Amino acid sequence: MFWIRPRRSFRILLALAALLTGCATHVEVAGDFPTPVTRRLPVSATLVLEPAFRAYLLEVSEPNPVSLALGDSQAALFRTVAGAMFRELQVSDQVPDPATTDLILVPRVAEVQIATPTETQLQIFEVWISYRVQLLDKSGEVIAEWPLAAYGKTPSRMLESAGDAFNQASIMALRDAGAAMITGFTQTPGVSDWLSRRGAWSPAEPAAP
Amino acid sequence: MNAAQCRRIWTAAGSHHPLGKYAGPRQTVLGLLLLASILAAGCTRTIIDEYRESGRALPLGRSEQVVVLGRRHDGEYETEPELIQCIARRLDDRLPVVPEQTFIDRVYPWFEPRTAPLGLRRLQKMLDDPDVGRRLHETGIRYMIWVDGNTETTDRGGSMSCAIGPGGGGCFGFTTWEKTASYEAVIWDLGEVREGGRVKVDAKGSSYVIGVLAPIPIIARVQNSACEGLGNQLREFFAARRS
Repeated sequence: MFWIRPRRSFRILLALAALLTGCATHVEVAGDFPTPVTRRLPVSATLVLEPAFRAYLLEVSEPNPVSLALGDSQAALFRTVAGAMFRELQVSDQVPDPATTDLILVPRVAEVQIATPTETQLQIFEVWISYRVQLLDKSGEVIAEWPLAAYGKTPSRMLESAGDAFNQASIMALRDAGAAMITGFTQTPGVSDWLSRRGAWSPAEPAAP
Repeated sequence: MNAAQCRRIWTAAGSHHPLGKYAGPRQTVLGLLLLASILAAGCTRTIIDEYRESGRALPLGRSEQVVVLGRRHDGEYETEPELIQCIARRLDDRLPVVPEQTFIDRVYPWFEPRTAPLGLRRLQKMLDDPDVGRRLHETGIRYMIWVDGNTETTDRGGSMSCAIGPGGGGCFGFTTWEKTASYEAVIWDLGEVREGGRVKVDAKGSSYVIGVLAPIPIIARVQNSACEGLGNQLREFFAARRS
């Protein structure tokens, strides 16, 4: 219940409008990714980070406007994880022609979804990222189209902004993507055969402890 | 061989304080301050259950360390990182505790929600792996304390309305909510790859906001009580290392 003089109401409405426009959340996702503990595969690889991948921005308008700039962080994650997975790693912004490495990885964002506590009635902020990683051999032949799904969440905290919570949940999702790459790479249909044909990996070898 | 032991402890905070003996003006002020501090603390009831594999304290070598880790694999809740930090701080004055994030980063990606071991059999596989096992040994961790659970609002009631006008403003009404914290901590001994014991804590507390011109909050620190209960009980499992 509010009692407001008519002369002041206009100013207050203006102030409220200014506050409401300030409710839009923009997050430049930022975080560090540790070097993974994993066995290096004896193959050389090129990681192709296309401009669209490095500049990826999710924009959601409902129920509240949110934009998540994931590009730089996901590029850093793929560089760190792929750097630990292969004997040698080159990074390029387009598929090299001719290729100088055994394998070429081209990650692309298929979909990103977010959820807030007000939407789910759970006390967590959530981020889902779905990638499709195209794997090519030296001649440019497609070895596999690898679907990579990642999920991150963070509990909602009193006095913490939605931006901080989405940043934390996005970092968790990216770390999860890294874990999925490490544990799932040799299990991907097409990749295991390609690796075993090259004597780089044996199907009898456990992919992960 | 000692038999496994169980025990239960009940505690209550912020419920009984002697205020009746204060009389003079100075004492009245002191009494009001004390009342304010009691009201600010709210009231929390805590029940702690403990299970020990043996009656002996868990040994910890000179270079060995402890890490407290939160379970994050459930889709509907997440064990709060603040609670894990709070428990680690409570243990840190007696035991060498490695911060959770430092440990998780050192062994990335093997203790992420997707990959973290849920049982001792999987932990054994990790220890047997030449790369992951070597890194785990390098961390110097002898005990992992896994904490699973969360604090949630279980009940809510009342209403409050606030008004402002040219002559001032104020809030009138009464609102209340109840929080419930339920956590279980399990100690894993990496030296012998076995469970060292477990502690379960259930804490419940009601918070109130009374609106008489200014809103007066009376907040029950439920998660803090759970941290205190878990931390104090876990400390008793280990032989003291720090003076």
